[in-house]
Amino acid sequence: MASLSRLSPAIGMVRSQALAPLSTAVRTNTTAPPKKEKTKFGPLSDEDRIFTNLYGRHDWKLKGAISRGDWYKTKEIVEKGHDWILKEISTSGLRGRGGAGFPTGMKWGFMNKPSDGRPKYLVVNADEGEPGTCKDREIMRHDPHKLIEGCLVAGRSMNACAAYIYIRGEFYNEASNLQLAVKEAYDAGLIGKNACGSGYDFDIVVHRGAGAYICGEETALIESLEGKQGKPRLKPPFPADVGVFGCPTTVANVETVAVAPIICRRGGDWFAGLGRERNRGTKLFNISGQVNNPTTVEEEMSIPLRELIERHAGGVIGGWDNLLAVIPGGSSTPLIPKDVCNDVLMDFDALVQAQTGLGTAALIVMNKNCDIVRCISRLIDFYKHESCGQCTPCREGVTWMMKIMHRFTSGNARPEEIDMLYELSKQIEGHTICALGDGAAWPVQGLIRHFRPVLEQRMADYGQQKKATG
Amino acid sequence: MLRLWPLRQVVSSAGARFIPACQKSTAPEPAPELVEVFVNDKQVFVEPGTTVLQACAVAGIEIPRFCYHERLSIAGNCRMCLVEVERSAKPIASCAMPVMKGMKVKTDSPVTKKAREGVMEFLLMNHPLDCPICDQGGECDLQDQSMNFGSDKSRFTDIAFTGKRAVEDKNVGPLVKTIMTRCIHCTRCIRFASEVAGVEDLGTTGRGNEMQVGTYVEKMLQSELSGNVIDLCPVGALTSKPYAFTARPWETRKIESIDVMDALGSNIVVSMRTNEVMRVLPRVNEDINEEWISDKTRFAYDGLKRQRLTTPFLKDANGQLMQTDWESAFLAIARKLQGVEGSQMAAVAGGLVDAEALTSLKDLMNRLGCETLCTEEIFPMDGSGTDFRSNYLMNTTIAGVEEADVVLFIGTNPRFEAPVFNARVRKSWIHNDLKVAMIGAPVDLTYEYEHLGETVDVIEKLAGGNHPFCKVLESAKRPMVVMGSSCLQRSDGSALHFMVSTLANRVKAASGADAEWRVLNVLHRVASQVAALDLGYSAGVSGVREAKPQMLFLLGADEGAITRSDLADGAFVVYQGHHGDQGAQMADVILPGAAYTEKDATYVNTEGRAQLTRQAVTPPGMARNDWKVLRALSELLGVTLPYDKLQEVRQRMAEISPTLVRVGEIEEANFFKQAIEATKAGKTSLGKEPLVPPQQVLKDFYMTDSITRASPTMAKCVQAATEAESSVH
Amino acid sequence: MASRAVQQGFKQVKPILSTNHHEAKRRVLNLYKAWYRQIPYVVKDFDVPISVKMGREKVREMFNKNKHITDIRTIDLLVIKGQMELVETAQIWKQRPHIMKYFEDTVNERPADFLGKFYDGHDP
Repeated sequence: MASLSRLSPAIGMVRSQALAPLSTAVRTNTTAPPKKEKTKFGPLSDEDRIFTNLYGRHDWKLKGAISRGDWYKTKEIVEKGHDWILKEISTSGLRGRGGAGFPTGMKWGFMNKPSDGRPKYLVVNADEGEPGTCKDREIMRHDPHKLIEGCLVAGRSMNACAAYIYIRGEFYNEASNLQLAVKEAYDAGLIGKNACGSGYDFDIVVHRGAGAYICGEETALIESLEGKQGKPRLKPPFPADVGVFGCPTTVANVETVAVAPIICRRGGDWFAGLGRERNRGTKLFNISGQVNNPTTVEEEMSIPLRELIERHAGGVIGGWDNLLAVIPGGSSTPLIPKDVCNDVLMDFDALVQAQTGLGTAALIVMNKNCDIVRCISRLIDFYKHESCGQCTPCREGVTWMMKIMHRFTSGNARPEEIDMLYELSKQIEGHTICALGDGAAWPVQGLIRHFRPVLEQRMADYGQQKKATG
Repeated sequence: MLRLWPLRQVVSSAGARFIPACQKSTAPEPAPELVEVFVNDKQVFVEPGTTVLQACAVAGIEIPRFCYHERLSIAGNCRMCLVEVERSAKPIASCAMPVMKGMKVKTDSPVTKKAREGVMEFLLMNHPLDCPICDQGGECDLQDQSMNFGSDKSRFTDIAFTGKRAVEDKNVGPLVKTIMTRCIHCTRCIRFASEVAGVEDLGTTGRGNEMQVGTYVEKMLQSELSGNVIDLCPVGALTSKPYAFTARPWETRKIESIDVMDALGSNIVVSMRTNEVMRVLPRVNEDINEEWISDKTRFAYDGLKRQRLTTPFLKDANGQLMQTDWESAFLAIARKLQGVEGSQMAAVAGGLVDAEALTSLKDLMNRLGCETLCTEEIFPMDGSGTDFRSNYLMNTTIAGVEEADVVLFIGTNPRFEAPVFNARVRKSWIHNDLKVAMIGAPVDLTYEYEHLGETVDVIEKLAGGNHPFCKVLESAKRPMVVMGSSCLQRSDGSALHFMVSTLANRVKAASGADAEWRVLNVLHRVASQVAALDLGYSAGVSGVREAKPQMLFLLGADEGAITRSDLADGAFVVYQGHHGDQGAQMADVILPGAAYTEKDATYVNTEGRAQLTRQAVTPPGMARNDWKVLRALSELLGVTLPYDKLQEVRQRMAEISPTLVRVGEIEEANFFKQAIEATKAGKTSLGKEPLVPPQQVLKDFYMTDSITRASPTMAKCVQAATEAESSVH
Repeated sequence: MASRAVQQGFKQVKPILSTNHHEAKRRVLNLYKAWYRQIPYVVKDFDVPISVKMGREKVREMFNKNKHITDIRTIDLLVIKGQMELVETAQIWKQRPHIMKYFEDTVNERPADFLGKFYDGHDP
């Protein structure tokens, strides 16, 4: 109870678009003993590890996968029907691993409306393009059968007739492995007509994209899958109503789909036993940047950031005190400076409280050797290049931000422009069709929020230098 | 393809179970429950499914927009229409968001204003400030909205460092001028091209700030409706090439008028300055042209300034046409007509003649004892012929196609004979699942259709009920059969008309259409035809050929239906019209008349709807309004017509046919049974030749009458379309 | 006696400008000359569709119209009015229609019948 009451105000403060399963967090008058909540998270024990071939040390093919426990009693899971699978997923508290963190059980449940005769589809978003993120590719090249089995289970939970795996075009080896694995699964009767002998027909199609960051946005992905330009659609109608080829569709991240079978096998409660309330389970963390040992690692949710870096990535180059800032969730989340990094937990709610986000859990670590302004400027270059150009604020605004950031890098600007840039980023945020506009605005906002003195100093230096050189 | 394939599949597989919401059913629908919405605390009730923007319009508040257009699909990409909605974290795009119960919209809250100002700032960031040399100036949405919703100062400091974006202009043909730097990427033009015009020529290339609207490769925008993108463009990125740098909207006078380039009678606005037609724009008329007009309507106006007849001409002793004055011309006619019997005279009316002139000509010739009055355009006169109005009208009406479920085109290419009507068919094809079939040469109609064959024996089979397509027609609830007047020009036209009428009656009886639904439709090609038939002209010049007259009066007849060889030797030919075209070449006396922008006149469109043109400019030189020429001539011939004023002519028209003066209304005609009973079949037998409409490809579209033949713009279009045909793209 | 009375009566009539016929005639001629010289400028300044010759003829015509008048006071008054007209013209206080009003008699009458109007070219 103590831990719950300590947590509940924090949850109340959390600003999240996801609906909170408040029943456990609100004040209760029952006399039943409260569920024991953990206070220490991580390291993950080996028996709780889901992705056991993350580093490709074992056979990724069907035989190896079966030896690691994949495709074990899949038939029984499929035969239990969609209600049971959805219940397990909901119990597990799994939240979407693609960045937004929408509760998966609820999302998949949207698909079980009475049919109007149209087929339903599952679309797996394997267009992993967020700078810093490299989790899905590891799944697809080293553990593709986890994904394929996940497709079947997730597909069954929404009674979809087929899954399209939209894989990033640059992932050649991943697509190749995945395609082979799909063929193996078809040959073994695991998918296709009468999948796993369960009487359920399910097809999987691997579709390679042509290389655009925006195609990772779910509606843009659908457009691209339909053969059109990858430009996000307006919502509503949501894909659950009108998705790919005009049919109800759910777009889910690779990691979300891939963990579904093991949740069903081991039970939602097992998964819910890991991590904090509302931030359950395990997660693939990618640690890159100025660390001694950049890596992708599966860890328990809510592990402290510092522990994650020091345990798995060999610490920051030059020691923890040499840390400048961390971008905690892939390039589109605002950075957090060292003093925040000291004790922040790696989960959705804690990072939202720190005015950033978990995103794809791709940490980009920057130590004091790096030019933080140039780093952010480079990110804006990326967003400028990847903006689809459909809607005005993103198309024009991000370009403008890029122009300003380039000048900030050299210091060729006036201090008033910092406020202007912040305002511009606010004019982009929330005014666009998709979330790319927000994702482009946040890094700049993070920079201005935490490193304003750096910017001002640079401008002053530039002015001095200009005066000196005449 | 815009049609969603699953929808069609579901419909065909599930039968009547799945009815698309947009399809109109015959049964009266129960009134849908209205949704209560609050716009700035003002309560309004709207139908479910309307967008927030429309709900605001109901509340009397116009939301600024660039990409949204009522007749195009929703893109939602300009973000100008963002409004704050209570209990929504972000401002929403009102053009795309459907209303929800109890929604509270705030259209002038600080959040809304800030969002608009932000979008405006972004749009202006890369928009060149060249309003003084921009043709859109004065009618530019961006200009207006930046005045209303934009910031009063610029923060774009980077103009001093990197400047604005510049985009290469594209050459999309002789009609649309592009200045792509001005483009704000609203994609209205793209959506128009793919949805309404049905050509996939326009699209975007590149992404982000490098995104460009264009034709992918340099090519002509090959559409007969391409000019409409000029009106749709909210900025000056797409402007009219012929109109470029000629006038400003505030210095022109706008005269509401009617188009005569085809038989639809599209509603137009003629912009005039210093007695010169500067341009032609569409005018909204939901029953006819919605808000589109064809390129011929829009751009042929420069033909009104060339090849014009400005003085009367008289052939002198050497056989040379010499300029003369009105009196001499009239006297010459009067002298020649002395001693000529009425039966030795004939008159032929062309395609651009108004009802007033037709009335005057008929009265004049009748007074002279002549009964041979024809139109150049042929229509079968056998049997009930033109006795029943229902035989020669588009009875279903143009807007009626939106209620139809099956359309059968016979011997016509509506895409070029009536482009705006074709756009309407396409609209129904997309939204209402209209099924289209065609008998005749296979042409590109911009939508899919079932091609039943090219020869007339298909019609025979259909009329006899032994063709597979009969099932479709019979199961239709509201079938339409549209016969092009071009196919009636054949020698077996009357047999064809009889056959099609039989078919239409059979279909009507077999299908579940109610008594008021009319199946048979004739799609005319020329603007004057319906009025001429209403007035009792006989269609086609066969009567003239039989009579071999001594004296022939051509009223705007320029299609060369009659040649000197059809007349008696040394016959006397009078031509009255506005252009020195084919008719004027064979004349002994030429009387200059007025074109449609130069007179108040009545035209009856293919539906039988009388509409008025308004005088925008004065006729050039000594040219006069046509009915006045005939009235003046009658005085010199000693058979003075009893009307001096326009109202008096219209009174006379009302005596002949009241429909001619009921402007804007359609008089229903529903005598199909009687018509078919009065007709004796088999006078002529059906031919074997395939039905080939004269306008098959785009280059055939531009030059069809004396005005368009005189127009340099249309000549350029023909050239461009011919080049485009041989182009690899 | 009688001549005195006449002289007295003559004296009692107060002259306006001229005391005798000679003087009045001079004034008239001066005014005529002034008009005559002004005409080229009038034609130019007002841009009226008349030639200088026509203008001068019109001036002569206007003077001739009053040539039967012998009363000195009347002549003087007419001269004064003519002077005023001249000033108004020279200073361009007048406008074109005021000038053209002098030539009103040259305007053709508008036809009333249909045919006449038709030949004329204006709308009936």
